[in-house]
Amino acid sequence: MFENVDFVGGWKLYFSLSGILLLAGVIAIALGGLNLGIDFQGGAQFTVANAERQLSDAQIRAALPDEIAGESVITTLGENGYEIRTPVISGQQEQSQIRDSLSRAFEGEVSVTTVSPAFGQQLRNQALQAVVAALLIIVAFISFRFEFAFALAAMAALVHDILMTIGFYAIVGREVSLVTVVAVLTVLGYSIYDTIIIFDRIRENAPTVGYNRRRFDEMINRSIRQVVRRSIYTSVFTLIPITALLIFGESTLSDFAFALLVGIVAGTYSSIFIASPVLSLYKAWRAGKLKAARST
Amino acid sequence: MGSRRNNLIVLALVVVLLGVAAYFIFIKEPVTQSTQLGLDLQGGVSAQLKGSQSGGGKVTRSEIVQAADLIRQRIDRLGVAEPDVRVQSENQIVVQIPGVKNPDEVIRIIGSTAQLGFYQVLASDPSLMEGPQVVPADEVEKTEQDMEENLKDDDAYEKGKTKILFEETPTPKGDGISVVGYIVPENPGLTGDSLKQNGANVEFDQTTGKRIVSLQLTSEGGRQMGELTQQMLADAATSGEPARLAIALDQDIQSAPTVEEPLGQNISISNNGLPEGLPEDEAKQLETVLNTGALPVNMKVISETTVGPTLGLSSLKSGLLASLVGFGLVLLLLLVIYRALGIVADLALLIYALLLWGLIVIIPITVTLPGIAGIVLSIGVAADANVVIFERIKEEIRRGKTPRSAIQAGYDKGYRAILDGNITTLITAFILFALSSGSVRGFAVLLAIGVVLSMFTAIVITRALLGILSDRGIHLSPALMGVSKASIATAEQARVR
Repeated sequence: MFENVDFVGGWKLYFSLSGILLLAGVIAIALGGLNLGIDFQGGAQFTVANAERQLSDAQIRAALPDEIAGESVITTLGENGYEIRTPVISGQQEQSQIRDSLSRAFEGEVSVTTVSPAFGQQLRNQALQAVVAALLIIVAFISFRFEFAFALAAMAALVHDILMTIGFYAIVGREVSLVTVVAVLTVLGYSIYDTIIIFDRIRENAPTVGYNRRRFDEMINRSIRQVVRRSIYTSVFTLIPITALLIFGESTLSDFAFALLVGIVAGTYSSIFIASPVLSLYKAWRAGKLKAARST
Repeated sequence: MGSRRNNLIVLALVVVLLGVAAYFIFIKEPVTQSTQLGLDLQGGVSAQLKGSQSGGGKVTRSEIVQAADLIRQRIDRLGVAEPDVRVQSENQIVVQIPGVKNPDEVIRIIGSTAQLGFYQVLASDPSLMEGPQVVPADEVEKTEQDMEENLKDDDAYEKGKTKILFEETPTPKGDGISVVGYIVPENPGLTGDSLKQNGANVEFDQTTGKRIVSLQLTSEGGRQMGELTQQMLADAATSGEPARLAIALDQDIQSAPTVEEPLGQNISISNNGLPEGLPEDEAKQLETVLNTGALPVNMKVISETTVGPTLGLSSLKSGLLASLVGFGLVLLLLLVIYRALGIVADLALLIYALLLWGLIVIIPITVTLPGIAGIVLSIGVAADANVVIFERIKEEIRRGKTPRSAIQAGYDKGYRAILDGNITTLITAFILFALSSGSVRGFAVLLAIGVVLSMFTAIVITRALLGILSDRGIHLSPALMGVSKASIATAEQARVR
């Protein structure tokens, strides 16, 4: 498969392709496209299941107290489900009043989730910590099992995948919640797995002595060709159940599946078209530096 | 690849494991009860509370453990089924209660510090003379702010030594809430410590027949109460205003009766405004929180989730549907791509699924919505372990090896890649577990178990199955394993080149 593709030599093309998508994501984020859910900024979320009555946006807002009606975000879930996200509600009593009022308006069951702003901040910090910790530990693990050059290349691929996932989230405007962070971390684990399979083959094929850029790049290309079929199959095998989640799952599950879908496609792409060229470029740069050092 | 005997032993072991899993899933309990479902799938209340000291000091570990214990006792008194109360971090507690009908009441009971205080009323809101102010519910806050401004001008108010507390009571007609403000000393004359064990009881007043909560004090408490009320009566005699005793719970005045004569060990909280006295559920709540005692620290609800049974059921259904469809398609695709090897892989995946379910029931792991996502993802991971090895086997066949030695080589070489790959996934799962809470942890646990189990199925079970298949003299042609003649030819050419 891909007998004639130069995975390493064509890096300028592959990098710019990713670059354009990443730029689009960054622009979307800059334009405020990132839709932070109550998990991270505090607030309340009312979920209506099995509503007997279908209400219009205005009718729903009429059922809410004036001070929060304007700032609430209403989304529909399936045929007779609704999700209403409001800013922080001051008291327990007010919250039960809103729930009762919604329950009366819809004639359906209303579930509530509230998160205080302080707790939202805590969740945000924990999420950031988790992502950074995951990156560092994975780099340490690869440096230990392979060598630093591989770790650096893997890191580049991971950062690419994270940015890609978040960028797409901003572009489509899906709600970012705790589950999104879980998905991003899962993507990290998945993408690194994919990269490791390729690196493992490069390690196996690598000559023990001497470095020659042409030979090394040729070897990388050969290694990728040997495992690329597996990479694609694996993505397909993982994407099938995830697509099922995206289609059949409701709110939380479908958000989770969306992040995984983007992340896994990005992860498969990056382990072939980002990680390996970075490895080659870094090796060449190092060799050039060593040579320069020796000649002086 | 081990002898045929070894392979048979492995398979026999797998059959035993399957039997054990099936026993726990289907026979020991009905299948609908054997798997523990999280609150997001069966409905219920989950609340996360954060402890803090009134003065802003640090909350100790023992205080938070004690608070969790008291909260558990309170929920037990409510008679709610199987509450789960856990200390989460140094100052947080997570409470989970499945299937509750009145979530708001439960949250109020578990979250109130329940610090009881008896205060001498130094001055009250002047409007009390011509009956308390009645306002609609959403104006209570504003009214209290206005009252506070007025009361601060009163001679009795002295910043730091006194404070202003409010009594809010719904009117009998239900047309509003009556609000009264009182100036009381900063520190209560008596606290809940002077309450006898189980000293709070819902009763009916003998003369008026109204519902009250009677409080029995310890003998020391009774003595102190006597002193306090005597002092109050003396003060009242000089000022000419009636002596009032404010009974406050967590800085909210429950009632402020006029004291006619010194009180002893028996006090009561009443509400004379309503025809029935204290409303029934309110009286019950008071009894519960007072008898379990005050929490050692203030607990604030920082996050709360109430899931109705309908929403839970629909989440469960959609999650199950998605997993089944995904699983079915994966099985089908494995067959299409790998033919004979695919049958083996499918069998291994089915075994994997049943063993995973068995582990979930036996350990037991509570299955939540993110947990289902973890399971679905682990199906992909499990299929992948087979893909890595099969691709390697096919590659070896293209190089001209016999099926038997190709299988051998596929395992030997694919093993290392699977191990490294799965270790990184495990690292992610552990990080998730360590740095998160609640339902995310459920995802991490299921992902980790899924990964370990998938390695077991791919390396042990699939291997034994393939070993037996190639041993039995069944001729596995390259085509049966999904390797086309053309690809063998290409590989040969590449080698020659």
